[in-house]
Amino acid sequence: MLAFAVRRILISIPILLLASFIVFALGVSSGNPLAPLLEKNPPAPPNVIAAETVRLHLDQPLIPRYFSWLAGLFHGDFGPSVVSTMNIGHELGARFWVTIRLIALAMVIALVLAVVVGVLSAVKQYTVTDYTTTFLGFLFLAMPSFWLAILLKQGGIEFNKAVDAQVIYTIGATSIPPPPGTGAQIVDVLGHMVLPTIALALISYASWSRFTRASMLEVMNSDYVRLARSKGLSRRTVMVKHALRTALIPLTTVTALDIASIIGGAVVTETVFQWKGMGDFLLTAIRTEDVYAASSWLLLTGVIVVMFNLIADLLYGVLDPRIRYA
Amino acid sequence: MRRTRAASLAATVAAAALVLAACGGGGGGGSQDASEGGVFADCATSPNTCNSAPADQLQQGGTVTVASEKNIDNWNVISSEGNVDWTGMATKPLVPYTFYTAPDLKSTMNTDLLASADVTSDSPFTVTYKIKPEAVWNDGTPIAADDFVLNWKWQNGRDCPECETAGNGGYDLVTSLVGSDGGKTVTATFSKPYTDWQSLFGSSAPLYPAHIGAKQGDLNTPAGVKAAFDYFGSTPPNWSGGPFQVQNWQNNVALTLVPNPKWYGATKPKLDQLVFRIITDATQEPLALQNNEVQVLFPQPQVDLVSQLQQIPNVSQFQNQGLTWEHFDFNLQNKFLADKALRQALFTAVNRQEIIDKTVGQFNKDIKPLNNHMFIPQQDGYQDNIAATGQGSGDVEKAKKILTDAGYTGVGTALVAPDGQPVPALRMRYTTGNAVRQNECELFAGYAKQLGVNIDISTTDSLGDTTSSGDYDVIVFGWIQSPYPFNGAQQLWLSNSGSNYGKYQNPAMDQLINEAAASTDPADATAKLNQADEMLSADAYVLPLYQKPTLAAVQNNIGNVRNNSSLDGISYNTSEWGIKTSS
Repeated sequence: MLAFAVRRILISIPILLLASFIVFALGVSSGNPLAPLLEKNPPAPPNVIAAETVRLHLDQPLIPRYFSWLAGLFHGDFGPSVVSTMNIGHELGARFWVTIRLIALAMVIALVLAVVVGVLSAVKQYTVTDYTTTFLGFLFLAMPSFWLAILLKQGGIEFNKAVDAQVIYTIGATSIPPPPGTGAQIVDVLGHMVLPTIALALISYASWSRFTRASMLEVMNSDYVRLARSKGLSRRTVMVKHALRTALIPLTTVTALDIASIIGGAVVTETVFQWKGMGDFLLTAIRTEDVYAASSWLLLTGVIVVMFNLIADLLYGVLDPRIRYA
Repeated sequence: MRRTRAASLAATVAAAALVLAACGGGGGGGSQDASEGGVFADCATSPNTCNSAPADQLQQGGTVTVASEKNIDNWNVISSEGNVDWTGMATKPLVPYTFYTAPDLKSTMNTDLLASADVTSDSPFTVTYKIKPEAVWNDGTPIAADDFVLNWKWQNGRDCPECETAGNGGYDLVTSLVGSDGGKTVTATFSKPYTDWQSLFGSSAPLYPAHIGAKQGDLNTPAGVKAAFDYFGSTPPNWSGGPFQVQNWQNNVALTLVPNPKWYGATKPKLDQLVFRIITDATQEPLALQNNEVQVLFPQPQVDLVSQLQQIPNVSQFQNQGLTWEHFDFNLQNKFLADKALRQALFTAVNRQEIIDKTVGQFNKDIKPLNNHMFIPQQDGYQDNIAATGQGSGDVEKAKKILTDAGYTGVGTALVAPDGQPVPALRMRYTTGNAVRQNECELFAGYAKQLGVNIDISTTDSLGDTTSSGDYDVIVFGWIQSPYPFNGAQQLWLSNSGSNYGKYQNPAMDQLINEAAASTDPADATAKLNQADEMLSADAYVLPLYQKPTLAAVQNNIGNVRNNSSLDGISYNTSEWGIKTSS
C-alpha cells in the first residue's frame, strides 16, 4: 500500500506543475496588475509605476517568472503580491484554517445526513419518506449555492426577530468586538457558523444522499444480502454490517472527488457570509490580477484534492478487503 | 398508493411554500419602512447639519459598526498603495489634518488642530499655519512643525525620490517649511502662488508623527525619510492624533477603535468603540444592516441595493451628488475624430437626459446632466458652459446640420467625410461588467447611428491600460473631481498631462488653466477656469454626463452620521457620532 501511495503522489507532481503553469500563464496574460495605479486620479507618478513593475517582476518574460516563483516555493517564498505588505504564504496559511473549519464541519454534517437519509430512502423505497427526501434532495441539488445562502440569511434574520434576540449572524466568523465571557463567545462563534455550515452542507448532502440511496438499493438486491437474510440474520444486522459497508464504497469515491467542488462552494459561501478564508483570498487575487497569489492558491488547492483522492483510494482497501494494491 | 401520492404532493407544496416564504422574507416593515429621507430628510438642504443630535441627546458609550468595503493593505494614505477610499475613511479618526471637505463639498479648516491658516504674503507666496497648543499625539508629544516637514519631504519629490506617493500636487512648489513658536507655527514659502494651498497637509494627505518616524531612520536623509514612509505603511498604528485610537486590527476582518484619551478636540467621542467591519461584497451589506450587525453603510448605490434598503425598518438612506462624474471621451488621435465638426455633431446627438433616465435615474430621480468640466454644482464657480453648445441635448437635426455644413455627405445613412473618405466604425470601450456603462455605450451607438456613424462596442478588463495606451475611439468612464479644482484642472486637461488620454491640445486653454492655478485672486482664478472650460466645451473633446451619487444608510438611532460625498467620506466627523438617548 505504501508503494501505491508513493506512486500516486509522484504521478500527481507533474499534474500539479502543469496546472500551476497553465494558471500562471493565464494569470499573466489576463490583465495588468498595475491597472489600479494607472487608473488613479491623479495618476500615480512614473517612478511609482516603474518601481512596481520591477517589484512584481513584470519586466521579465513568462517562463523565467514562472520558474523563479517555483524555485521560491522551496524556501517558503510564494512570490510578491500586488499588496506589497502581504506575505502570500502567511496569508494563505491563515486563511486555510478558516476554510478547513468551515469545510470539515459541513462535510461531516453532510455525510451523516446523506448516509442516514440515503439509507432510509432506500429501505423505504417508494414511500412518503422516499418521495419527500427525493424531492428535497433534488431541490437542494438544483439550488444555486449563493441563492440558498441568501435564503438562509433571511431565515436567520426572521428567527432572530421571532426570538427577539441576536442568535444567528450573517457576517463573519465572530462578533467584533466579541462578547465578554467564554460561554458567550462560544455561543457567538456557533451563531456565526450555523448558516454557512448549513449552506455548504446542504449542497453536498443533496448529491451524496442520492448516491447512498442508489448504492444501497443495488446492494440490497444483491445475492449475498439475500443470502444473509435467508440465513435468518436480523434486518438491522444485514443492513448495517453487510449492506451499508459495501454501499459506502462509492460514496467514499464521490466524497473525495467532490472536495474540489466543495472548495468551489466554499468560495461562494465565504463570499456571501464574509468569511475571510481561501475563497475570499482567491476572489481578491483574481480581482486585483494578483498572479502569484492566485497561482499559490491553486497549488495548495491542487495538493488538497490530490491528497483526498489518495485517501479515497487507500480507504477502498479498508472498506473492501477484496481490494488489494499491487 | 393514493395516500403516497397525496403525501408527496403535500410535501412538494410545503417545500415550495417554504422557499417562496423565504424569498419574500424581510419585505415587511410597515409604517416604519425606510426610504429616501427619515433621519436624513433635510440632508438635501442642510448637508452639514442634517441628522444632528447634540451631545446631551447622545448616550455615553456604545458601539457603532461601519461596513467597510475594502481591507487596509497599506496604512499610509499618502502612499500610492494606501491612497484608497476606505483606508482614508478608516484612518480618518486617527490622523490630524489642516483642511477637510465637508458634506457640502466645501473645503473647511480643521479647527480641532488649527487656530488659523492664512496666506500671509503674496510675494513670495507664503502660508502660515498656527497649530493649537493643546494639539498632541496620543503619547503626549505635541503635533508640530516636524510633522508637517516629514509629510512635505515625502511628497516634494526632492527629499525622497523613492517614496511612492499618490502624487499629490503642490508640495513641489513649497521651497521652505519652517517651524517657530516651539513648532506650533509653521510657515510655508512657495516658489510661485498656489491657488489650492488648502489641499496641502489636508485630509487626503494628513500628518503622521515625525517623532515615531524618526525612530525608523535619520529624517535628514532620503533613506531615513523612506524608512519612515514604509514604516507608516506597513505598521498598524498605535499612535493617534485624532479622536480615536486603534484598539485592535484583524487583517481582512475589522478595525476596532476606542477613544483617544489625549484627544484635544472640542467634541469628545461618545462611543466606546467604533468598528470598521470589512464586508467586501456590497450586496451582503443590507442584510447585515437589517440584522443589526452593522449600523452604518456607505456603498455605491445600485437599483437593487436602494430598493432593499427601503424595505428595512428603522433605517434611513440618502443619496448625495458626489465628486465622481461620468463622461464620454473622444480619442483625437483618430483622424476622423480630429475633426471638430464630427465631434460636435456626435455629442449634439447624445441625449444626456435620456441616458440618465435609463440608467442611474432609475434609483435617483435628482440626477441631472453636468454642464461643466472644471467645477461641479456644489463648488463655487460652477456655471453651465455646455447647454449653449447644444451638446448632450439629443437634437439630431442640429447634429445633422453641423455635419452637412461641414461638407459631410451620407448624413443619416453612411457618413462620408468632406475629403470623400467614408467614416469608419468607431470603437467604443467600457469597463467589463459595468452594466450602467454598457447601457450608456449602447445608447451612444443609437445616437451615432442616426447620423450614419457605426459604433463597435467592446469591453476592457483594464481601464488604466486602455486609456493610457489610447486603445479606443470613444470611451466612457468616470473622473473624480478634486475638491481643489485648480490643481485638478492641471492634472486632467493640460496638453502634456498624463490624464489627457485623448491628446487634446489647446495652448490657449493650457495658459488659462496654469494662470488660474497660480492666481492669488480666487475670483480671477475661477473666471479663468471657466474661460478654459468654455474652450474645452466648444471643442467637444469630453462630454460630461452626470455626477455619480453616493449613498449613506444608517440605523435611525445613530446621530450625526451624514453622507459626505468627498473622499473624506462617511467618517469625516466620527467624534460627533453617538447613539441617541431617545431611541
